[in-house]
Amino acid sequence: MKKRINVSTVSVVVYWLFFLALLGLYFTNDFGLVDIHKTAIITAVGIDTAENEVQVTAEIAIPQPSQSGENIKYTQVQGSGVTIADALNEINAKTGFYPKLQFCKLVLLGDSCKDKQLFRLLACFYRKNFSELTALVAMCEGNAADMLAMKSDTSDMTSEAIRKVLSDEIEKSANATPATLKDIAQLGYSKSAACYMPYVEASEPGTSENGGDGDNVGGDGGNTGESESGGSQSGSGSQGGGEGGSGGGGAGSAQSGSTGGETPMQFNARKTAIFSQGEFKGILNEQQAFALAAIENDIRLAVLPCDADGVHYTIGMKNVKCGVSLKVNDGVPALTVKFTAKAQINGAKKQIEPNKILLDDAIPDEVLSGAEEALKERFSDLITTCREENCDLIGIKDLLYKYNTKYFEAFEGDILTRMEVKYEVKIESVA
Amino acid sequence: MKTRINVRQICFIMLAYNVVSKLLTFPTALSFFCGRDLLFPALFNFIIEGIVLWGVSFLCSKTDKTFFGLLEGTIGNIGARIVYGFFAVFFLFAALLPIFEQELYVHTIFYDTVPSLVVFLPLFIFTIYAGSKKFENIGRCADICLPVFLTTMAVIFLMSFSGVKWDNLLPVLSTPAKTIFQGAAGTAYSFTAPCWLLMFMGHFKYKKHDATKITLSYVAGALIVLLFLATFYGIYGEIAGSRTFAISRTSIYFPGIDMLGRIDLIMLYVLETVMLFALVLNIQLAVHAISVCTGWDKLPYISLIVNVALATVLITCDNLYHSIQGLYFNWLWIMFIVFSVLVPSLAWLLKRRTE
Amino acid sequence: MVTLEKSIKSLKDVLTSEDILVFEFKAESGKKFAVVFADGIVDKELIGELVVKPLRAAEADAEYEDIKLLLASPEMKEGKKKKDAIKEVLNGNAVLLIDGEKDFLIIGVKSPPMRAVAEPPTQVAVHGPREGFVEDVKINLGLIRKRIKTEKLQVKTIFVGEKSDTAISIVYIEGTCPKGLPEKIEKEITDNKIDIIPDSSYVSQFLTKKPRSLFKRCGTAEKPDVFCAKISEGRVGIVVDGSPICLTVPFMVVEDFQTVEDYYISSYRATTLRILRVVSIIIGIILPALYISAQLFKIQIIPLQLLLKISSSVAGLALSPSIEMFLTLFVLEVLNEASIRMPKYVALALSVVGALVLGDTAVKAGIISTPAIIIVALSAICLYTVPNAIETTTTLRWMYLIIAGSAGPFGVVLLTSYLVCYLVSEQTYGVPLVTPFAPLIKGDLYDSFVKANMYTLDTRPEVFRTNDKVRLKNNENKN
Repeated sequence: MKKRINVSTVSVVVYWLFFLALLGLYFTNDFGLVDIHKTAIITAVGIDTAENEVQVTAEIAIPQPSQSGENIKYTQVQGSGVTIADALNEINAKTGFYPKLQFCKLVLLGDSCKDKQLFRLLACFYRKNFSELTALVAMCEGNAADMLAMKSDTSDMTSEAIRKVLSDEIEKSANATPATLKDIAQLGYSKSAACYMPYVEASEPGTSENGGDGDNVGGDGGNTGESESGGSQSGSGSQGGGEGGSGGGGAGSAQSGSTGGETPMQFNARKTAIFSQGEFKGILNEQQAFALAAIENDIRLAVLPCDADGVHYTIGMKNVKCGVSLKVNDGVPALTVKFTAKAQINGAKKQIEPNKILLDDAIPDEVLSGAEEALKERFSDLITTCREENCDLIGIKDLLYKYNTKYFEAFEGDILTRMEVKYEVKIESVA
Repeated sequence: MKTRINVRQICFIMLAYNVVSKLLTFPTALSFFCGRDLLFPALFNFIIEGIVLWGVSFLCSKTDKTFFGLLEGTIGNIGARIVYGFFAVFFLFAALLPIFEQELYVHTIFYDTVPSLVVFLPLFIFTIYAGSKKFENIGRCADICLPVFLTTMAVIFLMSFSGVKWDNLLPVLSTPAKTIFQGAAGTAYSFTAPCWLLMFMGHFKYKKHDATKITLSYVAGALIVLLFLATFYGIYGEIAGSRTFAISRTSIYFPGIDMLGRIDLIMLYVLETVMLFALVLNIQLAVHAISVCTGWDKLPYISLIVNVALATVLITCDNLYHSIQGLYFNWLWIMFIVFSVLVPSLAWLLKRRTE
Repeated sequence: MVTLEKSIKSLKDVLTSEDILVFEFKAESGKKFAVVFADGIVDKELIGELVVKPLRAAEADAEYEDIKLLLASPEMKEGKKKKDAIKEVLNGNAVLLIDGEKDFLIIGVKSPPMRAVAEPPTQVAVHGPREGFVEDVKINLGLIRKRIKTEKLQVKTIFVGEKSDTAISIVYIEGTCPKGLPEKIEKEITDNKIDIIPDSSYVSQFLTKKPRSLFKRCGTAEKPDVFCAKISEGRVGIVVDGSPICLTVPFMVVEDFQTVEDYYISSYRATTLRILRVVSIIIGIILPALYISAQLFKIQIIPLQLLLKISSSVAGLALSPSIEMFLTLFVLEVLNEASIRMPKYVALALSVVGALVLGDTAVKAGIISTPAIIIVALSAICLYTVPNAIETTTTLRWMYLIIAGSAGPFGVVLLTSYLVCYLVSEQTYGVPLVTPFAPLIKGDLYDSFVKANMYTLDTRPEVFRTNDKVRLKNNENKN
């Protein structure tokens, strides 16, 4: 007699077989997977170039056995190759770790990258699923490898200390112009084809990059033009504080011997590296970078130094609204830069009786005019640089394409020089 | 054979499944072809499909017969079986590309390192099981899926909005009309809702205004997709065309992610359950169509055969996703237009009353 | 003519056990009687009062009918067959044999040893009644009857178990419970021929059409207030003699997330607690799985700072994450099992051994990591927020763990989808297991993972399709 197959029994057998197979896989873990023990948690990547080679320095967090909390050692591992992927592969070969970029939150480009096409250099990150495009990108003075090797007194992880000066909070005070891999690509591939990233400098504690804008300074110093200090900072210990400004307050470089890995360093990213068509075009000084940050980002509280009646004031600005608009009137493109803010005096280089400080919050009209003028000058400086370098940083071509499409073809080539620029800067006193 | 599903469940399917089947490569493909005008080919397809869907749901009000019953009354039993045979093949094609998409998506989103195909193959254990279920089960799964879908999508949207620059979508209609139509035709493989309703026809009790409810659910789904497309392009702008698996890309710029970790991944994992049910719907309908066509009511066996066939294609053509997508984009869209637009429209010509 | 000696012998031939006693006595007239009973389960005093004392006055020529009239017992049955007499004796009743009579009388003097009505340890309520069911079916029925004083409350008792002859009472409210359901349940139970029924869990398996299923199909109630609330909604209750746990069918998964106290406290608090239970169960089942799949397959799920802490903890561990978690969970299960079975005075030593020796030392020795212990402990605590479902949830936790460690997060999603697909197809006595969610019944959602106020819950659950829908009338306070 033919025996009938019992479907229910067969399904139970199948389930058991499946379960046993899973159990086998569970204990062998053999999918070629890379588990937590074998993974290198790369927190930052530094990129330097030489000839036809890319040198990648990965800052890796190496967990140390500890049952009572975090105990991490950070180390820098270098690899080189024709592409970044080659270099990462070398890191894998050297360390046995499988380098993953999922936790990479900072991509630092060394000075040597200025000569390279930006998107060719970063192409690896834009490949499918290689990494999320959330990592911050910055250019640094000197070698990226050296900068990542520096010690910081604000964090065990150098990259974290650098990221602190590129944070959202900094962005909201216009003291830096942070950009992620996505921002860079988006701007770079837009009609304007220009992008920017913060330029990170390191200095020893006690030195000031630009002399600051506080009560005790006679003016806002700061650098202009491109910083070419470069050089190796760590290891060789040649350079500490970068360029130093022309202002007061202990500007200048502190040559205090070895800096790399020994003396804790401080970082700032008040300058901005600019690119057009992926080519490096220069570095915006702090004032220009401030203007760019004001246009591009949402500013919550910015500090502006200005002079009025021979007195230096530091103005704190709130409720900042800044933007650009482009209109074509009678065949002439006109760019309007609008800036409005509420302001109060944060500091002034003048003698004041303590009981009158409260009354001094309201800003005299001449100080407001001085601040407005200072701002106009910053915007004007920025636009002049854009024109000179033919680098459409504030996305004028993009505006033209989006809002005045019919003029795009006509003006695309020379809009930067052809456009008229109007500044509408209005600062009101909060008091 | 009249297994029951109800109108509420059909509405949920039109809303949730219709959306989740368009969240992976659909936005990327449209961004790639139509750039900032990606909304228009999608809108075009939604309008066409929405009209056809309304037509089919309105047809349901005119008869309580199944689609097979209508065909049988007009072209005879053999003819009806042949049509169902074609539909079975169509649903298999409709399921095939999403399976390939799912494989890549799963490998990318669920694993840090690209694992072997073996990891994905257990999917077929689920699809064999779910494929053998009747319409009642499809409906009840939709009941569970809708709240899951709405919750996860709401979270993903909330996490995404902070990074959107809406002016990335400007200027409107800068893409040539031909490209927009090409984009619409090429992505027609994602639009199969009228066929779903055609199969459900006669398996639910039509009440007044049900056609409106079904169509409005579809419209709601379409609006969610359009909003998602706009969000996706708003975030990535010019580089949107290179960011695959759109749904996993939009929420990563949420400011809290640094602190909370990739909570969006948890949402995506939850949403994946809905995606799997949407994926399996085409398989379930293929099984149903084969069952009706052959008169063989052993659904588990049919499901087994269908899934083994799909798994074989997947194993054989692994790593050929782009070629297969190209095939769908360039050629097979015609089949989708025929089955999703023409046939449902022609259903009105079928005799609705038995003489 | 049948002599008393012959009748006694006939019974004693079968009831040979020494605890079956025969008490012979005579009336003042000289008429002879014998009472046969099982020692230990009858009330001997009652035999004296109800049987021996009245029969003292029996006439010598008194016939069967006259003797019946003399007896003062309210629970009395006539018997003719020997096998009925044997059955009654074994059930705890006394059989009265009369000299010269072929027939006998069965006197209800059953008094098996039993404990007093007390609060059940697994369904402790801060608010609400504290009575719990006991092992006696009659007391249990009494506790039910005490709460539902309607003529519509129906009790149908059947006897199942070839050797145990256990009384099983099917309790329902006529007109409220779905038509035909009690008969269906009776058939399901009586269709199974089994030797003994030691507990209601045996009966629950008869009622489960899919005995291999991981999910239970019968609700349980250890307290009469819960039982009454359930049958008043339209369910059928089953009370099994010898078991303090009563059953209710049809069953829905959502019932496990509802506790009796939810109905005695503010609806806001009850809703919060129910959501808490749902979240806890999800965490309890999935957390160990998610933890190892994150470690093995998708590290990105974990925030960087937490990842660094976990990495420090697992660095240098001898075991892979999957084996570590398996081992930790295994130890938990062993400790759990041992702590239930062990005598209480050993349990203290066990917790010291478990917590200190196994936990602390294993961590210090680098065999398992601190996060693994935290995850497993959290999971264990979470699962016990719904103790009724503990059998299912612990099994599911293992399933998820195995699939997560072997197939990663996608395996977890697949298993979830499979379970959803499976659960929505399942039903007990026409009621889908995951209702009111699938199929969605809007009205019933108000007493699911949320708990609305009593004025909103003015009708019985729609899913039972009962004719008697309204529970609360004149509800002016609604809304």
